[in-house]
Amino acid sequence: MNKYIKCKMPLIYLVLTIGLFLAIFPYLWMVLSSFKVSGEIYTRFWPTKLTLGNYAFILKGGTGQERNFTGSIANSLIISIIPTISVIFFGMITAYSLRRMKICGYRFFENLVVYQMLFPGVLFLIPLFLIMRDWGQINKHSGMILRYLIDPWAIFIYIQFFKTIPEALLEAARIDGASEFKIITRIMLPLSKTTTAIVTLFTFMARWSEFLWPLIVNKDYDKMPLSVLLALFTKGEYQTYPGVQMAGATLLTLPIVILFLVFRRHFEEGISFTGLKG
Amino acid sequence: MRKNLVSRNNLISYKNFGRKNLIGYIFSSPFIIFTLAMWLYPFLWGIVISFKKWNLISPKQSWVGLENYLGVIKDPMLWVMVRNSIYFMVVFITITTITSLGLALLIKQIPKKYAGLYIAGFLLSYVSSGVAYSMVFNLLFAGDGLVNNLLRIFGIKVGWFTNPKIAMASIAMIVCWKFTGYYGLFFLAGLNNINPTLYEAAVIDGANSWQRFIKITVPLLNATFIMIIVFATIISFNLFTEPYMITGGGPMNATRTMMLEIYHRVFGLLQAGYGSTLAIVSAVITFIFVWAFRKLIERDDIYE
Repeated sequence: MNKYIKCKMPLIYLVLTIGLFLAIFPYLWMVLSSFKVSGEIYTRFWPTKLTLGNYAFILKGGTGQERNFTGSIANSLIISIIPTISVIFFGMITAYSLRRMKICGYRFFENLVVYQMLFPGVLFLIPLFLIMRDWGQINKHSGMILRYLIDPWAIFIYIQFFKTIPEALLEAARIDGASEFKIITRIMLPLSKTTTAIVTLFTFMARWSEFLWPLIVNKDYDKMPLSVLLALFTKGEYQTYPGVQMAGATLLTLPIVILFLVFRRHFEEGISFTGLKG
Repeated sequence: MRKNLVSRNNLISYKNFGRKNLIGYIFSSPFIIFTLAMWLYPFLWGIVISFKKWNLISPKQSWVGLENYLGVIKDPMLWVMVRNSIYFMVVFITITTITSLGLALLIKQIPKKYAGLYIAGFLLSYVSSGVAYSMVFNLLFAGDGLVNNLLRIFGIKVGWFTNPKIAMASIAMIVCWKFTGYYGLFFLAGLNNINPTLYEAAVIDGANSWQRFIKITVPLLNATFIMIIVFATIISFNLFTEPYMITGGGPMNATRTMMLEIYHRVFGLLQAGYGSTLAIVSAVITFIFVWAFRKLIERDDIYE
């Protein structure tokens, strides 16, 4: 029995480490390739010399057909940060009014939240595009942002969390004369750090990586987010420049990886809450 | 006097009730407006368009009744796409269940401080952006890419994305790569919820580790299995970025999905009505599969 356990643990670590290597390998290859000269991308794993040429190519251009990639990073930030803040703000006040203030018909609204999460997005793609067009939102940042300002999933997980906060705490604050809005900002917000971290991470991640929606509602190269511009160029002008492609892919991956590493602890803690995010 | 007090109390609480509702409705009014404008309205409009013929541009929209629905159902492409999605689903669910459950079972056995590091490493693939990892895998699995260069040692060359028989399976493998760590975390949460005394009792009864796995672990992870299979089903029918970036629906329509076809029909061929119909049919098919899977697998009477 003892002998069995002795050789079991190293074996577990070995399998996990091989698995981890396979999981991280594409990232590793992507980052290494982005610093390689074009001749070495397919032939060598470790580069013999490092170059920043690929990044210079994508960010500065100089080919005569360059597009504004630096600007596209700014566009991506705009269409990711604004919805993230908005989703947190409206998620919180809506969940608070439904679950803690129990406004008339709160059960109906809570069911509505769940229904909105369950209905597949494909049903809304075409009509939402038509609505954006009717509202003059095509080729605008606002057109890419509007439909993501409120996320029923965020309302749902705030409701789940607000259920666990004792009513006595809120009563005490009300007796001290705190307004409902103050209760949200001074009590609910500090208490729901984990939930807010998860909402931030998932929302930012989804908006930063978003591809189909900005592809549809925006045809203006100067307003494209990085994901769309990069995709169009990979299928077009950059097809034969694997190094440049990987530099772009690295730029696209970096912000969400950093954000993930910052919020990592909350991610694992809150996995039971996020049960409904596909 | 007493009566007076009661009524005054009632008055105050009634006033408070009204005020509370007023503030509450102010708080939730953005959500209500959003629901009407961005959910109910487009939902109804989507259904209306599916009964129309319209090229998105001209003011002329004509009612065509069920013509779009008949067109979708009679189009052989629909069955090609459903078959592709089922192929994807089978490969994806099988492999991802094995890898993520395996991952969770292994992680469970190592000390917590190392477990956190491994989980973080495996989750890195989950946070990757669809466009970025599609580009990376497209190069890694290209005809003369790294993977084929390695396989050349054994004298094998695989057309990962060019052989119509395996292109969809290759895409399924990529999506497995993305979700293994994430689903592993769900399985880990499920495993941690299993009462350890059950295993102790089974050991006393002489059950070996395989029997314990089949009789205790698998049935008690039922809820996790359901959740992952439902997610996987929805992913299968909503696949867009990966085939768009890597194969464009080819070779020979082997990776054409509903989403690609909707995009192509509406924004390429300007067939708004047909595209809307396809979206509705796709949603209905997804619902049928989710319902069937739940019917088949879901158990709520496990060892209670």
